[in-house]
Amino acid sequence: MEGKSNKKRTPAKRKSEMSYHLMVFPGLFFLILFSYIPMVGIIMAFQDFVPAKGLFGSEFAGLKHFLYMFQLPDIGKIIRNTVVIALGKMIFGMILAIAFAILLNEIQVKFMKKTVQTIVYLPHFLSWVVLASVVTNMFGLDGAVNQLLTAIGLDKINFLGNSKVFPGLIIGTDVWKEFGYSSVIYLAAITAIDPGLHEAATIDGASWWKRVWHVTLPGMLPIILLMTAMNLTSILSAGFDQIYNLYAPIVYETGDVLDTYVYRIGLVGRQYSFGTAVGLCRSIVGMVLLLSANALTKKLTDRQIF
Amino acid sequence: MRKSFLIKLTGIAAAASLLLAATACTSQDASSDVGNAGSTLSDTSSERGTIKVSIGRQTLQNVAFPDGDTYEDNAYTRMAEKELDIDITNEFEANGDDYNRQVSLALSAGDIPDMMKVGSLDELKELYENDLIADLTEVYEEYASDYLKSLYDSYEGRAIANVTLDGKMMALPGTNVDSGPSIVWIRSDWMKQLGLTLDEDQDKCITIEDLEMVAKEFMDKNPENADNVVGIAFAPWLTSGDPDGIFSMNSIVYALGAFPKTWMEKEGTVIYGSTTEEMKQALAVVSGWFQNGILDPQVGIRTWDDITALLANGQCGITFGAWHIPDWLLNNVYALNNNAVFEAYTLVDANGKVNCKHNDATAGYIVVSKDFSHPEIAIQIANLFYDSIVNSKEILENYPEVVDYITNGVDGSSRPFNIEVNSYTSLLDDYDDLERCLNGEITVEEVKTSEQRSNAISISAYLEGNADATGWSKYHSRLIGVELIQTLTENDQYSWLTPIFSQTTPTMETNFANLEKLEEETFIKIVTGDIDVESGFDQFVTSWYEQGGAQIIKEISEQLK
Amino acid sequence: MVENRSFHSKVRTTIIYGIVLLLGFSCLLPLLNILAISFSSSAAVSANRVGVLPVDFTLAAYHKIISDGQFWRSFMISVIRVVLALVLNLALTIPMAYAMTKSKKEFRARNIYMNLLIFAMLFNGGMIPSYILVRNLGLLNSIWSLVLPGALPIFNVIMLMNFFLGIPKSLEEAALIDGASPFQVLIKIMIPCAKPSIATVSLFSIVGSWNDFFSGLIYMQKVKNYPIMTYIQSLNIDIQEMLKSGVSSKTLENVTELSNRNLNAAKIVVAVIPLLLIYPILQKYLITGIVMGSVKE
Repeated sequence: MEGKSNKKRTPAKRKSEMSYHLMVFPGLFFLILFSYIPMVGIIMAFQDFVPAKGLFGSEFAGLKHFLYMFQLPDIGKIIRNTVVIALGKMIFGMILAIAFAILLNEIQVKFMKKTVQTIVYLPHFLSWVVLASVVTNMFGLDGAVNQLLTAIGLDKINFLGNSKVFPGLIIGTDVWKEFGYSSVIYLAAITAIDPGLHEAATIDGASWWKRVWHVTLPGMLPIILLMTAMNLTSILSAGFDQIYNLYAPIVYETGDVLDTYVYRIGLVGRQYSFGTAVGLCRSIVGMVLLLSANALTKKLTDRQIF
Repeated sequence: MRKSFLIKLTGIAAAASLLLAATACTSQDASSDVGNAGSTLSDTSSERGTIKVSIGRQTLQNVAFPDGDTYEDNAYTRMAEKELDIDITNEFEANGDDYNRQVSLALSAGDIPDMMKVGSLDELKELYENDLIADLTEVYEEYASDYLKSLYDSYEGRAIANVTLDGKMMALPGTNVDSGPSIVWIRSDWMKQLGLTLDEDQDKCITIEDLEMVAKEFMDKNPENADNVVGIAFAPWLTSGDPDGIFSMNSIVYALGAFPKTWMEKEGTVIYGSTTEEMKQALAVVSGWFQNGILDPQVGIRTWDDITALLANGQCGITFGAWHIPDWLLNNVYALNNNAVFEAYTLVDANGKVNCKHNDATAGYIVVSKDFSHPEIAIQIANLFYDSIVNSKEILENYPEVVDYITNGVDGSSRPFNIEVNSYTSLLDDYDDLERCLNGEITVEEVKTSEQRSNAISISAYLEGNADATGWSKYHSRLIGVELIQTLTENDQYSWLTPIFSQTTPTMETNFANLEKLEEETFIKIVTGDIDVESGFDQFVTSWYEQGGAQIIKEISEQLK
Repeated sequence: MVENRSFHSKVRTTIIYGIVLLLGFSCLLPLLNILAISFSSSAAVSANRVGVLPVDFTLAAYHKIISDGQFWRSFMISVIRVVLALVLNLALTIPMAYAMTKSKKEFRARNIYMNLLIFAMLFNGGMIPSYILVRNLGLLNSIWSLVLPGALPIFNVIMLMNFFLGIPKSLEEAALIDGASPFQVLIKIMIPCAKPSIATVSLFSIVGSWNDFFSGLIYMQKVKNYPIMTYIQSLNIDIQEMLKSGVSSKTLENVTELSNRNLNAAKIVVAVIPLLLIYPILQKYLITGIVMGSVKE
């Protein structure tokens, strides 16, 4: 039945196509209204935007802000820091979230499963303003973690003041904060896997680990690919709140990222144009990565992400 | 298919632009002027009818209003409405920085309230350059009361000069009293316990060597047997552009003759204080402290909250900050240890002078929209709140609820204009009152401001031995802290610097954040010994000039011509 | 050997339970710390003396919250907003996600719509034009300004689409052959089969609406209209900023009294409680598997 290149659009087909258009229409309306119309604001990136002059009264400035951004003395370092931290968060975050989802799924004791799940999803909701003081207390030179290290005979680690370690602290604490909430989507993916596949594998004599490798993970693959692609689009956003509340000049070397840098520029003059230019760069990079990821997925597997 | 998509997209873009443009052009309809269109400036209220005034209000977090009063409708606004026959509505309200954002949004949408506060001179300039605000020169001349004028004049013209653009007065400025130097607060109960004395001539001045000595003693003898004692602790950014920089090394830097984060004039040229030789010396001193252990080994990562904890836990007995930190910072020390007492000192330079810098005379500006037809109302509101409330017994009799607000300390942000307008000498005038009251020369009722009245009562109670948290705080801030400023003024020991520039230039807007980053990064590395003082600092100065500093200095020099 | 197997599986199970418990515990400790801070005196908190248990136990922070009328007003605003947004989100997201599962053959305009979605997800004009738009639509200070701009959460659409794709096509085809319309397929087959993913989408919608503080900051011009997270965030005080803007010392006193870390911690705790309640409700759908129709391949 498939494969017949039937170019005739039967009335039934036309009618069902109409239904699909109808399903899209309400969402599309809001999309155009609230996402596309304000997109006009992107011209701010090419202007010397002055609030008093408004969007259409501000002077045209061409690529001035983009050029400025690229010739900042630290721009290379800042972008490197941003990508390192963002990638670290993405990779380790996904690994822990997926691993946790798989492990949690194995828990049979309902009460424990529900309780642990609820507990681990809570840190996501704590603001960094509050969490930062918890982190500085725990990881400070006199904090619990260092006390533990000295107790077992190791040297203290200067998490907050050593440029080499600081990104690790940022990545680690963020992974800790988010893994519970992120695991929700992977859990949903796991439960959507046909139990029949698991049964078949067990009957065939597969060990637990083999089952995970051959049934669970492949079943989760579409979602994993989707999340990877989505996370890639924010490769240039390393997380403002967290870093702002934890960094200090002594770790600017590896801790200063695009978000914090733009924020400090904004403090001196209200640099809306510059901020928009940076945002536009981020969007473009995100789009390139997303399209590449999609193309790669299409080539390697047989599906596409979107 | 693709073509039709492109057509659709262009259509959407066009529609979007039209939609936004249409609104950028429409100005807000005149919310003012209910009364006669032909009113002249000297109309009395009865002739012109109630005027609606919309105000942009910068609010404060969680102000406790009595009985359902709000920012829009409280004792102060009701008084203004009754006295001036106006009807106040708040166009928008927000706290702190959120307020500045609302101002930018309102501007972008092309529509500002009749009156609003703006936080910076840059915003004021922007409004002026785009012809959005009213020239207040005439109405100020004609309507401002003599007392109000005297308040501004006490700044020797600096206050009005800041808001005068091209010879026109474009805003009503809020004043900013000098808050004195970064006071060195030392635990005097510990000094007594260890048998140390400082400042025998009681002029409140000590030297850097004195400070080092005390820090060492405190660390060695550890009067409260705390774990992990610290001699001296600084915040991660080390210096501050405010003279009274809290937890900063400002006092040491000033004592060596440098003024960090300040634009100053030296031998005819503009220079940035942090790049001077004296700054290098100060860094040498402080990095020396780090080497020999006086300075906090965790400097650079010890946060503001952490330093507060050090003080509260009795791990550190020395700190630096403005005269008023006992009210809201050092009170944490008292909360955990009722026996803690501080004494206030200041560091002198080699000539026995206390270097200090004038604060910018103004902070916060009230602007009036160009379209508002009764700009004199702004002046009248100012008169009411900065003159009548203070001086007129009649006003206070007519508005008992305002008196209640004052006695109960309802925050001043509830007034229609959230700015302070005080005489330049108000801090010391208040102190004078307080001193005479405590000496018995005048009675409590004769003390001029109600805030100072309640301070006098708390401090008397404290001195008589009935200590409580407020008494302790006020004793330290209003008596000990301000006394130091008074002493220095009396003995003419100040050596004042007036910064020559405090706004922003175009290159500052783009490069200054980076220069600041360079400065803070370099300095903390110098202090912790990561880089050498001599070569590190020289390299910093060179880089500073290269990365925009030279250009900025050029621009400043241009503006000052 | 069977014995080896069960020993292995016992060890494996212990390890799994151990790891899960460890991770759970690691999340619990900081939460307890924040909870403890909220119940401690501000003096103890400022001296960093609070660990997992409260020091100088006091209900002062919570008392302040309970008596703060604005806190509850903002709370209610957020609750209403979350409900409105959830209904709107689901109504828009579910049909769209289903339509996007259709291939180009069945739905010619599919790729165009998908491109529109992706592009909008990546590019946006920023705060200022959004503000101008909302203002022109007359939505400033209205609860709809918090609901309508976020009506179509694009990521949720794509995620849900992926989940729909995971449902065996045979179910759909069977229904279509039986003469069902696309809408009927959506309602009678896709939705019931995708319960875990719809629960996930709902969770994301609820959490997203609840946590969003920025919309309130720009679209609400009076503090009394702030939703809860905007209100909490507006209470955070940056002392450095305050000092720079030349506030009176009296103001500083008022401000630090209120911005105590223990008060902040208490506010966070109270604001998080509703989320604590939502999750167990949705867990029912997230943990149980889907009921498969009787389809023989």
